[in-house]
Amino acid sequence: MNFPLALTGLFWLGAILLSLGLARRAALWRQGRAAQVAWSGLFAIPKRYFVDLHHVVARDPFIARAHVAVAGGAVAVLALAAANYGLMLYLPALDVLMLLAAGLMFAGAMLVRSRRKSPPARLSKGAWNRLPRSLTLFAIGAGLAALLAISGDALGSAARLLALLALAGLTLGGAELALGIGLGGPMKHAVAGLLHLAFHPRQERFSGNKRSTDLKPLDLDSNEFGVEKPADFAWNRLLSFDACVQCGKCEAACPAYAAGQPLNPKKLIQDMVTGLASGDGQGYAGNPHPGQALRGGDAQQPILGGLLAEDTLWACTTCRACVQECPMLIEHVDTVVSLRRHVTLTRGTVPNKGAEALANLRDTDTVGGYPLAARYHWAVDLNVPVLLPGEHADWLLLAGEGAFDMRYQRALRALVQVLKAANLKVAVLGEAEPDCGDLARRLGDEATFQQLAGKMMSTLRHYSFDHIVTPDPHLFHCLANEYPALGGNYRIQHHSQLIAELLAKQQIPLRADAETSTITYHDPCYLGRYNGEIDAPRQVFKGIGIKVVEMERSGMKSRCCGWGGGASFTDIPGERRIPDMRMDDIRATGASQVAVACPNCTAMLEGVVGERAEVVELAELVAARLAKA
Amino acid sequence: MRYPHLFEPITLNKLTIRNRIVSTAHAEVYAEPGGLPGERYIRYYEEKAKGGLGLAICGGSSPVSIDSPQSWWKSVNLSTDKIIDPLSRLAETMHRHGAKIMIQATHMGRRSSYYGEHWPHLVSPSGIREPVHRGNAKIIEKHEIKRIIADFKQAARRIKAAGMDGMEVSAAHQHLMDQFWSPRTNFREDEYGGSLENRMRFGMQVFEAIREEVGRDFCVGLRMCGDEFHEDGLSHDMLKDIAQAMSETGMIDFLSVVGSGGDTHNTLANCMPPMALPPEPFVHLAAGIKSVSKVPVMHAQSIRDPNQAERILASGMVDMVGMTRAHIADPHLVIKIRDGKEDQIRQCVGANYCIDRQYFGQDVLCIQNAATSREATMPHTFEKAKHKRKVVVVGAGPAGLEAARVAKERGHDVVLFEKNDVVGGQIVLAAKAPQREQMAGIIRWLDMETQRLGVDRRLSTAADEAMILAEQPDIVVLATGGVPNSGMVPGWGVDEGLAVTGWDILSGKVEPKKNVLVYDAVSGHAGFGVADFLSSRGSQVEIVTPDVKVGDDTGGTTFPIFYRRLYAQGMIPTPNFWMDRVYREGDKLIAVLRNEYTEALEERAVDQVVVENGILPNDTLYWSLKERSKNQGITDVHTLFASQPQPCLSEPLQGDEFLLFRVGDCISMHNIHGAIYDALRLVKDF
Repeated sequence: MNFPLALTGLFWLGAILLSLGLARRAALWRQGRAAQVAWSGLFAIPKRYFVDLHHVVARDPFIARAHVAVAGGAVAVLALAAANYGLMLYLPALDVLMLLAAGLMFAGAMLVRSRRKSPPARLSKGAWNRLPRSLTLFAIGAGLAALLAISGDALGSAARLLALLALAGLTLGGAELALGIGLGGPMKHAVAGLLHLAFHPRQERFSGNKRSTDLKPLDLDSNEFGVEKPADFAWNRLLSFDACVQCGKCEAACPAYAAGQPLNPKKLIQDMVTGLASGDGQGYAGNPHPGQALRGGDAQQPILGGLLAEDTLWACTTCRACVQECPMLIEHVDTVVSLRRHVTLTRGTVPNKGAEALANLRDTDTVGGYPLAARYHWAVDLNVPVLLPGEHADWLLLAGEGAFDMRYQRALRALVQVLKAANLKVAVLGEAEPDCGDLARRLGDEATFQQLAGKMMSTLRHYSFDHIVTPDPHLFHCLANEYPALGGNYRIQHHSQLIAELLAKQQIPLRADAETSTITYHDPCYLGRYNGEIDAPRQVFKGIGIKVVEMERSGMKSRCCGWGGGASFTDIPGERRIPDMRMDDIRATGASQVAVACPNCTAMLEGVVGERAEVVELAELVAARLAKA
Repeated sequence: MRYPHLFEPITLNKLTIRNRIVSTAHAEVYAEPGGLPGERYIRYYEEKAKGGLGLAICGGSSPVSIDSPQSWWKSVNLSTDKIIDPLSRLAETMHRHGAKIMIQATHMGRRSSYYGEHWPHLVSPSGIREPVHRGNAKIIEKHEIKRIIADFKQAARRIKAAGMDGMEVSAAHQHLMDQFWSPRTNFREDEYGGSLENRMRFGMQVFEAIREEVGRDFCVGLRMCGDEFHEDGLSHDMLKDIAQAMSETGMIDFLSVVGSGGDTHNTLANCMPPMALPPEPFVHLAAGIKSVSKVPVMHAQSIRDPNQAERILASGMVDMVGMTRAHIADPHLVIKIRDGKEDQIRQCVGANYCIDRQYFGQDVLCIQNAATSREATMPHTFEKAKHKRKVVVVGAGPAGLEAARVAKERGHDVVLFEKNDVVGGQIVLAAKAPQREQMAGIIRWLDMETQRLGVDRRLSTAADEAMILAEQPDIVVLATGGVPNSGMVPGWGVDEGLAVTGWDILSGKVEPKKNVLVYDAVSGHAGFGVADFLSSRGSQVEIVTPDVKVGDDTGGTTFPIFYRRLYAQGMIPTPNFWMDRVYREGDKLIAVLRNEYTEALEERAVDQVVVENGILPNDTLYWSLKERSKNQGITDVHTLFASQPQPCLSEPLQGDEFLLFRVGDCISMHNIHGAIYDALRLVKDF
């Protein structure tokens, strides 16, 4: 037997099998709708892999090292094999390099193996458990093959045995890669993952420092009503689901999952994989949606009721903890909202108080069904001017829906006090202020969102102001990130950002004798993960002499209060309440006060019963330390 | 949204008010000599403004004319330009906290007393005497009408000049304006009497003069009665006609409606409905007026609870709610409602200590909140003390609970011993009397607050010397109350079991018998309460007292309630008799009574004799701890009365040393306010 020729044969056999598999999988992706995406993305894969993806993976140094070793080693082995054996160069120097690469891969496989010995609960098992074995076999096979080539005849009669072993290792290990994509095995992720980087639905994620957290508008005039069946997704979305490595980082971060609500974001993505491949879903070996059996589906059949229970869909708080954690850059929240859009826009069957909230928004421009004139009742004794067309204000304060809540009115009063103390010229719109549309959009009611956004933008056009300030991160996010797609561009700041600036400029007169205190701070999702703003609030606390003890889940890893995405309206039952869990996080710090910077977090945490930390809004803390006028 | 109606701003004329809650006009009895608001007056109102109140209308019955006396109840005097400065200080203070402030202006007509001040001859449309104030009056002449209208105009000028937000003219409780309206007091045959139009003429002319002075944009309101409850008085229908006519003039920006006339003792008791009356007893009258009014209507009378207030507004009966006594009990009422701290509201119970004091010509004080109107010296909220101390309070009656509360608010470690299994002391018994159940509200708040604040409460624990010292206290406050002083006259035979005490009856220890003589040597709420308790359970009751009338010490809005029940239930009032002794004869008890004025003896044969003779202090613990205490149990009265810290508090304590103080009835018998004030003024400086 000519050993090098055998390797050449094996290489090309693998390459052909992989190509056939890829073609098979691509046919499944192509069930999806067309997508606006450029082929040139393929050239960006290395940068996106080594920078954007690795940035996420590197948060877990152990697995990052393991992956660098095993994937780097494997890619090097394959590249060298392609050159040396695929192209039949048979250069000994390349064999030496291949031996080194195989060694690296072997070391990585050992790390993967040790990880799999006592895996965290979030990791899927099943086929994934054989991966260390396949990788080890391939590394050994490649190492032996290289060794044989280098040593020539020196090994004598042992060479035959070793050659057989090398071929066996390469065949068994290589099959995992060659067949993975075609048969949907674990190594599918390598091919789909790289292609996903090329054809990612949010290409802007890879350009500069721009965050991409806005939902994309539907073209309602063209009858775009969201996703009903797997084939309704754009093809690159289907591809993105196949990139999932089932690491469960999303599962571990998901507040709904932790609360025992029937949502596991990892399972949600796997449900989509089952759907696109029209399978029975029984091969899934991870944690299920709590309380839900494994289900099958079909690419052409409705997802809800088949693949997914409706409750799963409405349990999501759109907090983006899953997206933040995902090393494969999969967009779970987009998936949820696409499905919600179809339900809301075609059937209107939003559970519990969700439908009522949407009806209120359509009928009254407020979530709670309030008279618009009531939005600024709390400001009557603060002499905040109501801006009239033709007048000018430096700062326009948009209070949002929180203005109807008596608890939150305390925060708003404090904010006005602070801004006035800083000598800012602040005005409000009074009863002219409409809703920003956040809730409608998260619940999938794109029509109402676009209507409300249109109303907000046309209202704002009538007034003259330099900047907008709002204490509501949801309103902030909508105006800053989602209105631009509809043609609205505003200079808007969250109040924490404005106050931080004013403090830095020493424009807020503070009491000299203010007591120092220790609090913990709960980052709102729509300020932190949606806008990356985790520093400004902390600068404010520092600026007024307050020490922050951080929760384990804070900053970009903050845990949602449970309100987001309309989850407090759809109110899907679980085993625990999300705000209760968050209060446990707060309790663990020992702080007697928790600062918040969002009307909805305020309401959710205030709603926690029993002994708990006092909930104080950021502006209240500043107002309490203002120098006496 | 909680309380969407309560916190909906309202605009009266050009004046926007932040919520619907009003402190309506009432006689404060705080003005400085000459009828000028001073620091006490302003701070009393400022506290309500700080507390989130929307609108205060101060100066109940502030006279505009010098022949309407103000000095004997320390009212605000609108008849002089000297009023402008203090009122502008008041207005500026209220505005600083976002509240609005108006003042009531009036001429009282016959509703006053002629003796004192300028010794005026009181004026009234037909010179009919007013019984409650013993107001003898002359028939008002046209030149006097003219003068008084001019006085209203001058008063309006002063009010506006001071920067007040508006003025309210009173035609309620039979002031001069409604003396013209009422067929009970107006028998004139000139253009001011006869037809309704004629009877309204004086009022119309007053408002025309006011408008001439202040212009269109200044807020001017009218307070009026919704029904005089007199056969010959203003009926609800007449008053609806008047309200409609007045509101249609365009001269009036709001109406404030109260139920009941007030020119007899019995109707007067309705005006500030005491706890015996149902909640908001007269809101239907205000709703009737609102049905014809072209301007917003406000109403006060026993609206004491936020949910009640919200319900009244939501039902559309009125546009603004007066929560006046509610603010006397807790000036921070509105902020507590706003901030979801309803459970922390010190809620008015309708004990009417405030208004009953006013009818004695005394300054208005709250039975349960000793800081109200003492804002210069007594805190409503507390700063934490610099040094944490261990405070042991013995006895959980009103004095002990308040002491424990205040000490805990100051940040101290507080242990509260109470020998009973419930807190409340004598108030627990007081609340057993019929229609006095709401007295328990005083305790409910102190009970909840001491628990909320985390006072270490040891109920069912009769503290002795050793237990107290085992706590290693820095300060011991004894609030051990007292026991019935029924042994004072051995002839009563309480020790022999001939007579029993009021406590025995109210606590249920002794069953009521058929024919009962209640001997009440104190004439307060307790004696009448036990008599009513017995009568309501079917006993035939005679109340004997050496005082000039039964229930003599219970105040102008309280004794009429007692008397309604006294006569309706057939209780027999026997004033002016002492009880010398009780003896047994067969199955009857014979009570020997002696007339105060003739010394003649009488006897009553009854089944049961109940003695109410006040309280004897429980001072055993005091005497056992006094010698050991560093301060020898002495409270320094000079500093106490000056609202200063006790001097001994500033001296460091060594080893086992502790300070000993007493508050309330365990020193000598006081009332509930006295007990709570004792505790607050002492403990606020711990």
